[in-house]
Amino acid sequence: MKTMAMTKTYNRRIVLDLPELELPEGQITAVIGANGSGKSTFAKILGGIDRPDAPHPVLPEISAGYLPQKSFPFRMSVEKNILSNGHDRSRAAELMTALGLGNLAAQSAKKLSGGETARMALARLLMKQYELLILDEPTAAMDMESTLLSENLISHYCQETGCAVLLITHSIQQARRLARQVLFLQQGKLIEQGDTDTVLSKPARAETKQFLEFYGI
Amino acid sequence: MGSSVQKAIELILSADPELLNILSVTARVCLTSSVFALLIGVPLGILLGAERFPGRKVLLVLNRTLTGMPPVVCGLLFYMLFSGVGPFRHLHLLFTVKLMIIAQVVLITPIVIGLMETFVADTSPVLRETARGLGFSRAKEYGLLMNECLYSVFSAYLLAFARAIAEVGAVSMVGGAIAWKTNVMTTAIMMYTNRGSFTLGIALGLILLTLSLLVNIILSVMQGRLSR
Repeated sequence: MKTMAMTKTYNRRIVLDLPELELPEGQITAVIGANGSGKSTFAKILGGIDRPDAPHPVLPEISAGYLPQKSFPFRMSVEKNILSNGHDRSRAAELMTALGLGNLAAQSAKKLSGGETARMALARLLMKQYELLILDEPTAAMDMESTLLSENLISHYCQETGCAVLLITHSIQQARRLARQVLFLQQGKLIEQGDTDTVLSKPARAETKQFLEFYGI
Repeated sequence: MGSSVQKAIELILSADPELLNILSVTARVCLTSSVFALLIGVPLGILLGAERFPGRKVLLVLNRTLTGMPPVVCGLLFYMLFSGVGPFRHLHLLFTVKLMIIAQVVLITPIVIGLMETFVADTSPVLRETARGLGFSRAKEYGLLMNECLYSVFSAYLLAFARAIAEVGAVSMVGGAIAWKTNVMTTAIMMYTNRGSFTLGIALGLILLTLSLLVNIILSVMQGRLSR
């Protein structure tokens, strides 16, 4: 799956300037970079939340699901929140069990903790089958156990459905665990792209090396 | 003072016909105006809070100005429009319950709009991002937003009703506080106090305070239930 080249300008400042990119189907592509590097803007444009400068579509006609950094819990039970994106009750139960939400099904989503809300939001998104899944730091609010459960679920979803997954993450370890391809962004530009092991172990660009050294990699 | 309060309570318990008439006119004016304010104010408040369009900020400033409009100014405006020299004199609405309701709607609708706008402007961006990310239709997105707004709608209604029932300036000017016709609780309290007849005034004051307490109790209970 290819995304078109795109630019985004805020207050006359170019915050994103990306070339055409390939997002392989059935694989997870991680996007890494410091705060303000344009990762979330990229995710929002692909998710149809934000518009690029040029009014052309950046994606072919496909179904895309987008999980924002802060997902909104609708004013209903956890189960109903999940069923708001599909009517398959057995799928909802399966997702709740996989994410450890089984005992919270009847609870009001407004009463969940940050980590629980993030798990519920992921379960709600995965009720449908998409061709492209865009996840903006899906595990940022979770503890390690929940993170691993979620990663496992995302990985299975990607393999089972054959969809392309774009994972925005601050965790280099998470990128290493899940992604086959990594994109490194800095100040809205694509600095380096390639196979995860290569980019994270033997980066070609000095900027990537410096970024990884900062994270102790 | 003590004997006046005792007499006032006896008046309430005896279901005095004049007292009942005042309560009936008050209920008619306040319930009708607050329902109309809700019907007009909720959609406008949601629109101003959820959408961005040219002129939105001007409308917000205008609404805030109207929220703070003194009731007597509103009363004066309607008096001038509907009095013998006003452009709408042929409608013969001055000193009628209908015009009291219209004046109240103009006074309390900005409160409903302001409350809804504040809540929706805070909630809508995050809800919208989530709903669009899930591929929901615009109708479903608005349905979810309405569901989030339930408590705000309810509290906006109660506040609009409380403002309407406590209001005196506009209703006295356009209604004229005519006994058995347009006299509401607040205008009646003023009228009877001016006459030195405190008993009915105290009785009405007690009823007003009780209603205010009830509104607050209902708000507190609903806040707990609807926020779940």
